[in-house]
Amino acid sequence: MSIGIEHFLTVGALLFCLGLAIALSKRNAIGVLMGVELMLNAVNLTLITFSRFSVSDTPIAGHTFVVFVLTVAAAEAAVALALAVSVYRNRETVDVDQLNLLRS
Amino acid sequence: MLFLASEPTTPTIAQEILWAILICPLVAWGLIAVYFRKIGPVAGYLAIAGIGAACVLSYVTLFNVMDANGGVAQFTHEWFTAGSLEVNLGVRVDGLTAVMLVVVTTVALLVQIYSQGYMSGDPGYGRYFAHMCLFTTSMLGLVLADNLFQMFIFWELVGLCSYLLIGFWFHKPSAAAAAKKAFIVTRIGDLGLLAAVLLIWNELGSFDVAAIQEWAHDEPDGAIVTLFALGIFAGAAGKSAQFPLHVWLPDAMEGPTPVSALIHAATMVAAGVYLVARFFPVFESSHDAAQVVAWIGAITALIAATIALVQTDFKRVLAYSTVSQLGYMMLALGTFGYVAAIFHLFTHAFFKALLFLGSGSVNHATNTFDMRQMGGLKKHMPWTYWTFLIGSLSLAGIFPLAGFWSKDEILLDAWRHDKALWVIGLSVAFMTAFYMFRAIFLTFHGEYKGGQPVDHHDEDSHFHGDPAHPHESPWVMRGPLVVLSLPAIAAGWLAYDHIFKDFVNGALPEVHAHGSSFEIGIAISSSIVAVAGIGAAYAIYMKKWVSSESIRATFAPLAITFENKYFLDRLYEDVFVVRILQRGWNRLLELNDKYIVDGVVNGTGRVAREASTRLKVVQTGQLQSYGLGVAAGVIILALAVFTANPL
Repeated sequence: MSIGIEHFLTVGALLFCLGLAIALSKRNAIGVLMGVELMLNAVNLTLITFSRFSVSDTPIAGHTFVVFVLTVAAAEAAVALALAVSVYRNRETVDVDQLNLLRS
Repeated sequence: MLFLASEPTTPTIAQEILWAILICPLVAWGLIAVYFRKIGPVAGYLAIAGIGAACVLSYVTLFNVMDANGGVAQFTHEWFTAGSLEVNLGVRVDGLTAVMLVVVTTVALLVQIYSQGYMSGDPGYGRYFAHMCLFTTSMLGLVLADNLFQMFIFWELVGLCSYLLIGFWFHKPSAAAAAKKAFIVTRIGDLGLLAAVLLIWNELGSFDVAAIQEWAHDEPDGAIVTLFALGIFAGAAGKSAQFPLHVWLPDAMEGPTPVSALIHAATMVAAGVYLVARFFPVFESSHDAAQVVAWIGAITALIAATIALVQTDFKRVLAYSTVSQLGYMMLALGTFGYVAAIFHLFTHAFFKALLFLGSGSVNHATNTFDMRQMGGLKKHMPWTYWTFLIGSLSLAGIFPLAGFWSKDEILLDAWRHDKALWVIGLSVAFMTAFYMFRAIFLTFHGEYKGGQPVDHHDEDSHFHGDPAHPHESPWVMRGPLVVLSLPAIAAGWLAYDHIFKDFVNGALPEVHAHGSSFEIGIAISSSIVAVAGIGAAYAIYMKKWVSSESIRATFAPLAITFENKYFLDRLYEDVFVVRILQRGWNRLLELNDKYIVDGVVNGTGRVAREASTRLKVVQTGQLQSYGLGVAAGVIILALAVFTANPL
């Protein structure tokens, strides 16, 4: 059995689904963030796969994209964790169900 | 020189004169309304000047048309065109118009002079004369119009002026109600006239009087002709107070008495008769419509005369008498007595105006119209008494006064047409004589009962004299009475030698054989009933050989019916207005408004609210559930794409 594009994409899809499931179901804000990170990485994997297996005038575009995503994800993680810490200091919880001040 | 019975020719009258007749009172109205409303006597003098000028020009016109044997002169100008609708502005003068011009301007002028005395000191003095001038203009416009459209405009203007003047003392609730009643009741008839206007435009494409007369002549007994005739008559019945629309006229007596004399006795109420006479060829060619006119006229004459028998209000006796006489005129028109109807309109205008002005003079002395508070005024007010007596004799139809001749022609036409109508006419003649002399004996003879004491706390009252000591009215009021009593005596002699007949017949497209002549049998029978009526009134109210109470007791059911005006007011107010309109139709509209109109509006709101109640559970404010929604959406879209384009 040779490893082809299908296998890479399947792994990416599974990872994405896992990340989505975590992001939607976790109550802990940190857990939600981890799910989002997982989804970003799944997409990165998919981008790299297409970049590797497709014939394109600019094969480097996929790689470039991934580097950007990684950078943004790092920044996002930093900001989000800072927010989480800040919320915890104010409310003594990071349970997203209880962060409902804007609800009428 | 004038009354040669030859073919009518076209009058040579200059069109400027005809327009000037219309414009003189209009200018007076404008000046009074804009500049002199608050400047007492000037308003009155302006009104007299404007109407007087129109009066002089009307006589000029009359003599000119007489030279032409009552022929037709017409001056038409295009006013506007909209699609196939062509509306003209024009004047038409012929025998009929000339007679109407003279009647309107003469009575209007005398009434203006009389009003100088009657209305003096009234806070609405200027307003009164402005309205009177506008009314005169409208009435002259109506009789001068050469097409139905223009007639309709002036017709409505006349109705408006009537409304304004009935409600002249609008601070009195009864006057305001009477004005409203008059306006609404006549409006019902005007609906018929409007329908006739639309019908003739649809049928003929022209409003021209001559064209309509010709059209009707060419289509004898056509269905459209009958419909048109009935529409015209509906309008005429409203304005001329014919049964069942007569109820407004007695209430219209709430207006100042000179207004009653001019508008609600002599001129405006005769406008309906004029309109039917103007379209006489239409009725001539539709026998069904003519039959309706004749019978409605007869019923009106009878009903009004019987009610007049039991009235205690001086002015209301005259009002019902007017309704009755208008019924006479319609009866004449319906029996093809065109000449008789116009002749009676002509004579009636003078003696009825005289009677009303006389009643105003009595009111001026006693501060009341209630005959039970009068009596014995003959020695206090000789001028009023004698002129009133002349008017009453004329109305009762005593030889040789004016009313005798015109009433006689009507009865003659009725006799030739239908004996039943003649019997009704004759019984009405008896009642006319009876109620007029009942009024005279109660008012002018016997002992004076003191009138109505002046209520000094009533600020609306501007009564100056002392009712306990009645006095004759000033000359400015007596003068018109004396002047009007001349035509009340002599106007009937125009019937002699067919003078009047040949003259007004010139207005018709061809000379008709319907002119009346004199027949001694009819004349004697009507004279006998008139004298009998006077005699009966003398026996009951002067000599008191028979007490009126015992007669009333004998005929109690009839008396109650008459006193309650045949319960017609009750029928209209309680049944039509309250039951049918308020509780029926208005309730239906109310329900429609409440449940259907409001239902749609409220229903829209309710649907939106219900829907949002259901939908708002979706909006949790929880980010993760939104995310679930987004993911589910993406999956559904992806599935849809893959189903449509399989790999």
